[in-house]
Amino acid sequence: MPSSGDVAMDGRPGPARRGIPWRRWNSALHRDLGYLCVALTLVYAVSGIALNHIHDWNPSYGVVREERRFEPVPVSDRDAMVAQLVERLGLPGPPKDAFRPRPETVEMFYDGWSVEADAAAGKAIVERVRERFLLFDANRLHLNRPRGLWTWIADLYAALLVLLAVTGMFVLKGRTGLAGRGKWLVLAGAAVPVLFVVVLRWL
Amino acid sequence: MARRPSIGLALAQRLALILALAVAGPAPAAEGTVYGTGVSRTEVVEISALLDHPEAYVGKTVRVQGLVTDVCPRRGCWIDIAGDREFEKLRLKVDDGVIVFPMEVKGKRVVAEGVFTKIDLTRGEALEQARRHAEERGETFDPARAGDVAAAVYQIQGTGAVVR
Repeated sequence: MPSSGDVAMDGRPGPARRGIPWRRWNSALHRDLGYLCVALTLVYAVSGIALNHIHDWNPSYGVVREERRFEPVPVSDRDAMVAQLVERLGLPGPPKDAFRPRPETVEMFYDGWSVEADAAAGKAIVERVRERFLLFDANRLHLNRPRGLWTWIADLYAALLVLLAVTGMFVLKGRTGLAGRGKWLVLAGAAVPVLFVVVLRWL
Repeated sequence: MARRPSIGLALAQRLALILALAVAGPAPAAEGTVYGTGVSRTEVVEISALLDHPEAYVGKTVRVQGLVTDVCPRRGCWIDIAGDREFEKLRLKVDDGVIVFPMEVKGKRVVAEGVFTKIDLTRGEALEQARRHAEERGETFDPARAGDVAAAVYQIQGTGAVVR
């Protein structure tokens, strides 16, 4: 029933005064932050999986190696060997730089690719490095390689994730809400890192 | 009569310009791309000097320079730097994830800084390290060449680098 304060200026009764609809605001905030964070969540999640397995593969680059054979070149000084190898291997010109790790081995460096030639054995490996499609850039952002402005964006995103997590707990009420089974799921989720830390530290 | 762009479009253009300027900002400096804390020392120690008299430099912070001949192909956690003499190179090892060298630094010139370190390895450890490095490069480890494996390894525990 409207109270005396719920009377409009024209004297007609207004809507009933109710408390702040915080659950509705919470749900709206959770929904809109969710939309806002979709793209960044995908970037961080996909690159996160890729980077987790960095011991098994390079998540940012693919390396293509091609073996070539050539008429062996006599071991002499580096510049002479480089000139002969460029000719024998049909390389597009002198390399930007070269190095000899061993007398018979010459490494020649070009932009984005290199050649390691065993002059005595007449065997060379041409190595080309390729950035992995999408993953290269996603990993770059995940690892905060751009720094500067990206640091702020990543910090803001992390803060939004905190908000998403907190608001997410209060979207529903009742049996499926935090007071119902929600609290058990929250505790189960928290138990995973807590148990892991306990095992790592004390067992 | 030309139509004026909408306020939304003008705002989007300004935001795009600000973003472009901000993104283009810090990473590759005119003098090269900085990794970690960069370099601060001015005196360069030749790699040949480090390898000739390693014990004199162990534990000291040194600045070296040279050609990057190889990069850790998985984690970007080390680079090999060619010495000033032929057949010599020195590894700059960095903490995993703290500095990540991209594959494209291979073949470029680097100035790097860090603590010159000696690692004593048993023969088994040396063989295991050589096997792991071969595996990282996608090569087959040949134990027949195990004679090349040193029992003490010198490297620089890197804190920063500038690649040009």
